[in-house]
Amino acid sequence: MDADLARRLASLVGDRHVLTGVECSPYVLEGRTPEAVVFPGSREEVGGVLVAAAGAGVPVTPWGGGTRISVGMPPARPGIVLSLKRLDRLVEHEPADLTATAEAGMTLAAFQAALGQRGQWLSLDPPNAREGTLGGILASNASGPRRHLYGTARDLLIGLTMVLADGSIVRGGGKVVKNVAGYDLPKLAIGSFGTLGVIVEATVKLRPRPDTDRLVVAWFERVKDAGAGARAIMASDLIPSALELADAEAVRALALGGREGAALLVGLDGLPEQVAWQSTELARLLADGARVETRVLDGEERDRVWQAVGDLPRRALAETTAVMRWGVLPTQVAELIDHGGDVARRHGLGAAFIAHAGVGIVTAILGGGSGGAAANTVAATLGDWRALVRDASGHATLEWAPLAVKERVPVWDPPGAPHRIMQRLKAELDPSGILNPGRFVGGI
Amino acid sequence: MATLTDARKRSLRREMEELLGKGAVLSDPEELLVYESDGLTLFRALADFVVFPQTAEQVAALVRLSNREDMPFVARGAGTGLSGGCLPAEGGLVISLMRMNRVLEVDYANQFAVVEPGLVNLHLSWAVGPSGFYYAPDPSSQQACTIGGNIANNSGGPHTLKYGVTTNHVLGLEVVLPDGELMWIGGKTRDPQGYDLTGLFVGSEGTFGIATKIIVRILKKPQALKTVLAVFDEIDQASAAVSAIIARGLIPAAMEMIDQLTIQAVEDAFGCGYPRDAAAALLIEVDGLAAGMDEQAARIMAACREAGARDVRVARDAEERELLWKGRKSAFGAYGRVSPAYMVMDGVIPRTKLPYVLRRVNEITAAHGLRVGNVFHAGDGNLHPNILYDPREPGIEARVVAAGGEILKVCAEVGGSISGEHGIGLEKADYMPLIFTGADLECMRRVKHAFNPRGLCNPGKIFPSRKACGEAGIAYRPHPIEEKGLAQRF
Repeated sequence: MDADLARRLASLVGDRHVLTGVECSPYVLEGRTPEAVVFPGSREEVGGVLVAAAGAGVPVTPWGGGTRISVGMPPARPGIVLSLKRLDRLVEHEPADLTATAEAGMTLAAFQAALGQRGQWLSLDPPNAREGTLGGILASNASGPRRHLYGTARDLLIGLTMVLADGSIVRGGGKVVKNVAGYDLPKLAIGSFGTLGVIVEATVKLRPRPDTDRLVVAWFERVKDAGAGARAIMASDLIPSALELADAEAVRALALGGREGAALLVGLDGLPEQVAWQSTELARLLADGARVETRVLDGEERDRVWQAVGDLPRRALAETTAVMRWGVLPTQVAELIDHGGDVARRHGLGAAFIAHAGVGIVTAILGGGSGGAAANTVAATLGDWRALVRDASGHATLEWAPLAVKERVPVWDPPGAPHRIMQRLKAELDPSGILNPGRFVGGI
Repeated sequence: MATLTDARKRSLRREMEELLGKGAVLSDPEELLVYESDGLTLFRALADFVVFPQTAEQVAALVRLSNREDMPFVARGAGTGLSGGCLPAEGGLVISLMRMNRVLEVDYANQFAVVEPGLVNLHLSWAVGPSGFYYAPDPSSQQACTIGGNIANNSGGPHTLKYGVTTNHVLGLEVVLPDGELMWIGGKTRDPQGYDLTGLFVGSEGTFGIATKIIVRILKKPQALKTVLAVFDEIDQASAAVSAIIARGLIPAAMEMIDQLTIQAVEDAFGCGYPRDAAAALLIEVDGLAAGMDEQAARIMAACREAGARDVRVARDAEERELLWKGRKSAFGAYGRVSPAYMVMDGVIPRTKLPYVLRRVNEITAAHGLRVGNVFHAGDGNLHPNILYDPREPGIEARVVAAGGEILKVCAEVGGSISGEHGIGLEKADYMPLIFTGADLECMRRVKHAFNPRGLCNPGKIFPSRKACGEAGIAYRPHPIEEKGLAQRF
């Protein structure tokens, strides 16, 4: 790196808060070592780093916990990693307002622990809460099983502070739960993968922790039957907080207790009366016309299974070679999982699937086939999966794969007509293109 | 836009009639008068044309024509807006979507509907009701307002406390962009790739283009519901009850406050069963599973009693429930019985600041010699002070506007917002600096520029005049479009 820029960064954030050379190794991304890692201690320092980088024409990768840093195309040039680690304070929690504000580098686990002391929580349960930060979760639009009832970041984020590439600190939304003043900048930031600005602070809506929280597992012989079960639940009076559909491979990895076949994992929370009625009703509904076994999990066992659901992409198969995320209609989930499994087997590979069945988000995990020529087989399978999903009018994102595979299969679908507006938004907010260039959809 | 000559106007009218058919273009000043304001009658502005397309392609053609003529255009639904958002502030074309009012598709298994923008909000719930579904956002004007208008304003309503506002229910939009291109943003599936243009479009007050098809979530009707009426002798007690209910770990479906002046107006008009001598009443609704419903109602009633409620009861039956809700939703109409005119404010505050802010609202209006009625979404801190006045009284409108500005300032001071659901429009543009810095507004300008680079799509809205940006305190002064003689206030 340019010595001038290195000096400038050190003077901005302090020598102690800049890593260079071999110290950068924990921040190697897709085999590329960053030129420097900086740890600003305030939003003003974040602005200073961005201005310095823009001046030198060096790209910047904002970095939270690093848990989803490999989603997207790898950076063309390593540049500077901007870590939000030092911005990790809880700024405000007002239980009676059901809102809280925290800095972007705070981990979700730390945030939940603080809220939990006052009987509340942020109803967002993406994987890796211990390392994942609020900023990273928002920037990558991470979510978990409870999105079925409680929605995603876009339903919970009410205010946001972001530093733009020109160093300006901008706020959108506010700290009240209902607000239509000005454009919805928080929505723009969610899922933007750090390409428009660096999120430094967020205000979210909270919920009271439920009195009771259970997980009901229902086993089915085939994925198709589990799919029918999910549809029956959707059409019933039940109000589950989560509705996960796992295929046989995923069920095996979750170690649910020896039974074979597909399963539904149904979250039920609320008042004890509500959970009790729903547990009974769920068993009755699923027993209707099919032989289904159900089991109710609580306490540590419940937490272990939910944790395992989040870890599934890494653990489901002996050797995971790629993870894809599909967005389809809820009624298409079971059929596409069956087809996706067939496709993988035809290519001689293994696959496991778990889906947020009620909202149509499928995590498709591909396993096996390492070594020289195998990248081609993996790429061919992923290409077939993408075609399968496209034919169902859905979308497919390659969430994780080795670089050799990413070089063969695009991470994102080909951009559609709205891409023109997205490019203009990028050009307006990051005109010199220093924020994560090339990582996002259509090369943004 | 250069002023249109009569000859040019006639030729444009002919061109649009060829596009849309006879009877779909208005240009006589008398016909245009109907469209000179929305629900906020303080502002008026005349369009050159009002047009009634029936297809998305016609809307796109009208927008392209506007671009060719360098003529501003603005979409309009039912005109129930309360911030002057759909006014043709700089003349030009008003594109009414009222003839595009069909339900195009309903998918019950996947729980969404595709509708046209001119569909009346309540009509969607009627359409899907027989199958056990409904559309959750329920602005008080839902019998008239359109889904397209709801998109523009990110409309709320009483039940948004539990179910969220419009943006939480919109999955995708077919839009005509300000340059006339027709495209889909978002869609039927979740988490579409790229920036959340749908989320950005909802609540952009018609400045990013015109939605021509809308995919919304529809929800299953709840198994059960219970409505509680709590009556208080002091407003502070009612405010305290709101916080006490939240503190007990409950999020009701709705939690509405109605003050004495409003109760009396409602009782005079409709006789809905609210006690006339109460200082305030809370209308609280819980819905969901039948199991646990009694427990929820019991917790709510206990919280109200502890806060000092003199009377707390559950609505006996559907009839009483509907009557109580009629009183709430018709409150604005009832003000007509006690005052020839009123202006409704829309500030939002953290729930915990309710007692303080309600006291300040009363002090501010009293200091200006004005009466105020409060009927609002207490559960999410969205105030609706209604300042009552008689427009025949000389100089009173300036006082109303001044009092309104002071109320918004108080909302901003306690960490709130100047609009919860009505939008900024023309009315509150100059108050934006109360809650946003110059950098915030500059960022929003850039976002607008990405969608609407020529500025022809609904100009003059949301952004403060340059003059207002540098000012700390805000007092009444003519809006820039008034100064240009393009629109009138009062």
